[in-house]
Amino acid sequence: MTVAVMKTKAEQSFAEGFNEMRATLPGSAAVREAREGAARRFEELGLPHRRIEEWKYTDLRSAVKEALPARSGDKLAMTIADVIVAIGPLAQIDAHRIVFVNGAHRPDLSTPGSLAGLEVESLASTLEDAQATEFALSGFAGQDSNAVLALNTAYMSDGAIVRVHAEAELEKPLLLVNIRAGAQPCFAAVRNVLEVGAKASARIVEAFVSLPGAAGDGQINTATQINVGDEARLTHVKIAADDGSGVTHLANWFARLGKACEYRGFQLTQGVNLARNQIQVAFDGEDAKLDLSGVFLGRGTDHVDTTLVVDHAVPSCESRELFKGVLDGHSRGIFQGKIIVQAVAQKTDGKQMSQALLLSPDAEFDSKPELEIFADDVVCGHGATCAELDKDLMFYCQSRGIPTDVARVLLIESFIGEAVALVEDEAINEALMGFARDWLSK
Amino acid sequence: MLEIKNLHVKIAEEDKPILKGIDLVVPKGELHAIMGPNGSGKSTLAYVLAGRDDYEVTDGDILWNGESILEMEPDERAAAGVFLAFQYPMEIPGVAGLTFLRTATNAVRRKRGHEELTTPEFMKLVKQKAGELNIDVEMLKRPVNVGFSGGEKKRSEILQMALLEPTLCVLDETDSGLDIDALKVVSEGVNALRSPERAMLVITHYQRLLNYIVPDKVHVLAHGKIQRSGGKELALELEQSGYGEFGEKAA
Repeated sequence: MTVAVMKTKAEQSFAEGFNEMRATLPGSAAVREAREGAARRFEELGLPHRRIEEWKYTDLRSAVKEALPARSGDKLAMTIADVIVAIGPLAQIDAHRIVFVNGAHRPDLSTPGSLAGLEVESLASTLEDAQATEFALSGFAGQDSNAVLALNTAYMSDGAIVRVHAEAELEKPLLLVNIRAGAQPCFAAVRNVLEVGAKASARIVEAFVSLPGAAGDGQINTATQINVGDEARLTHVKIAADDGSGVTHLANWFARLGKACEYRGFQLTQGVNLARNQIQVAFDGEDAKLDLSGVFLGRGTDHVDTTLVVDHAVPSCESRELFKGVLDGHSRGIFQGKIIVQAVAQKTDGKQMSQALLLSPDAEFDSKPELEIFADDVVCGHGATCAELDKDLMFYCQSRGIPTDVARVLLIESFIGEAVALVEDEAINEALMGFARDWLSK
Repeated sequence: MLEIKNLHVKIAEEDKPILKGIDLVVPKGELHAIMGPNGSGKSTLAYVLAGRDDYEVTDGDILWNGESILEMEPDERAAAGVFLAFQYPMEIPGVAGLTFLRTATNAVRRKRGHEELTTPEFMKLVKQKAGELNIDVEMLKRPVNVGFSGGEKKRSEILQMALLEPTLCVLDETDSGLDIDALKVVSEGVNALRSPERAMLVITHYQRLLNYIVPDKVHVLAHGKIQRSGGKELALELEQSGYGEFGEKAA
């Protein structure tokens, strides 16, 4: 029996849009094939909706009303001064910057040259090359039911292919900046590949920001493949900090962790009207450490979803997750955290925590932790809290002469500061707090 | 001068009265002690002076320098010179002690019409005041009171008091949780702040603290009322006889 599923307007126009522009998308015949396969898969799957368990809190089928057209930003008139304005607090970091505008690489706005031990290429320029294509597409196996990723594969226009050589220690953070610009609302699909060689050490920040004056609407679909080599150390931060006007941000992270590596992942989401941050981490070698944390700030009708799966597939690894949300107005925060400990993964040590601060009686936080443990010698735990600002602490601050509005900001900063501190990099921490302060002062 | 007139207080969301007609005057330059058994309303009095909204004043008034402070928010009272040293100072994870102190100091200075202190000016001041209280400035880089011992927390309260330069100091059970050495340091800190411009109210269950901070007057609070007032010798007498007399009298 076949069931005819009604396509929504957005689903139809994503499909039509692809048909119109497939000839212009970069890539070899193999890439074109991959794109068409993904487009067909998206057509079968449609946008995820609430009847799919992992999407029950975030019904994209009803939330995404239309598909915005892709508009490359390769010709958009912009200067480095514009980049500085768009990246806000990140401008204070002495970093190697690679800039993309509406999903198109802009060498003219990026830092020239490179860093010792670092190779960065634009995805678009490598997709003609079969080997590079294989590299860019290989890390997403087993994701056939991921409609958001399928959309990304079909539409991806550009991104950064980053290789950190084995044993290299990058002297500066690498900043992958994606700027939304121009008065026309648009869709951008970005794919980044981060390959950190054995015993290397790197700090990589992906930022999704907008230039003042950018269209009120925007759709970002980003997928990042992360491969952390044996004994490597990677600090990886994603900042989605838009202007609060009505942007949809759909993100996928897929990380593979090598033996005895240390991976610190962090995500900040603010000023985004609809966000789905999906994170999948697989341990692929023993004795690795994962520290995954994040902060999400919502107000108005913002909807911010963090859904993660951590797969302990090998023994003796450690995972920590701490996600903190501040929710005002009618905003809604979602945290779904699944920790899988496979039967072979003895001596696993996993702890997960999600916490929300509700600033309004109409704000909502849904937390769904899931532990699937098949090994018997493990330490695993999870917790979730949801609270208002602590009245006793407010009184303590006020009794020291600090007015309520200042005390509120101080206590909110203190709440999220605990998660931000886990990034363990002074300059990046300061930038993250800078973004949060900007949001709080609005 | 602090004037408390016929003060009646209940917990905001309950009907049970806690303070049932307190009359008390503390002139500038004097330090008064309030003693009393547990549950007598001592801490309630301290919180009501600082403006905590868990309590409701049902009758009477509190005047500071001739003006009622009842309608003022806690931060406005702080600017007007009121300072409460907490029995259990709060921990604020994620807020560095120095940030907190500077935010508070400058907020109060601004409201009093003084120039805000620059970072170097503030650091100079805080180093001097912290030194006098045997507080290591390094400790103030840590989050407010987090991981501090009982004695460190109390010294940190006195440091806040020294920086905010209040004119009405209320110390709630400042001796609780202190060993004898910490008690001496804290007492010296309090004594150093005694001045003809300041009124001080020291709330304590035990007489011990009053060996170090010698009061001008002692009041006994029990069952929501001042039951007896006297000189510093009243504290010694209570140490001998206990609070039993007041328990029976007002029951």
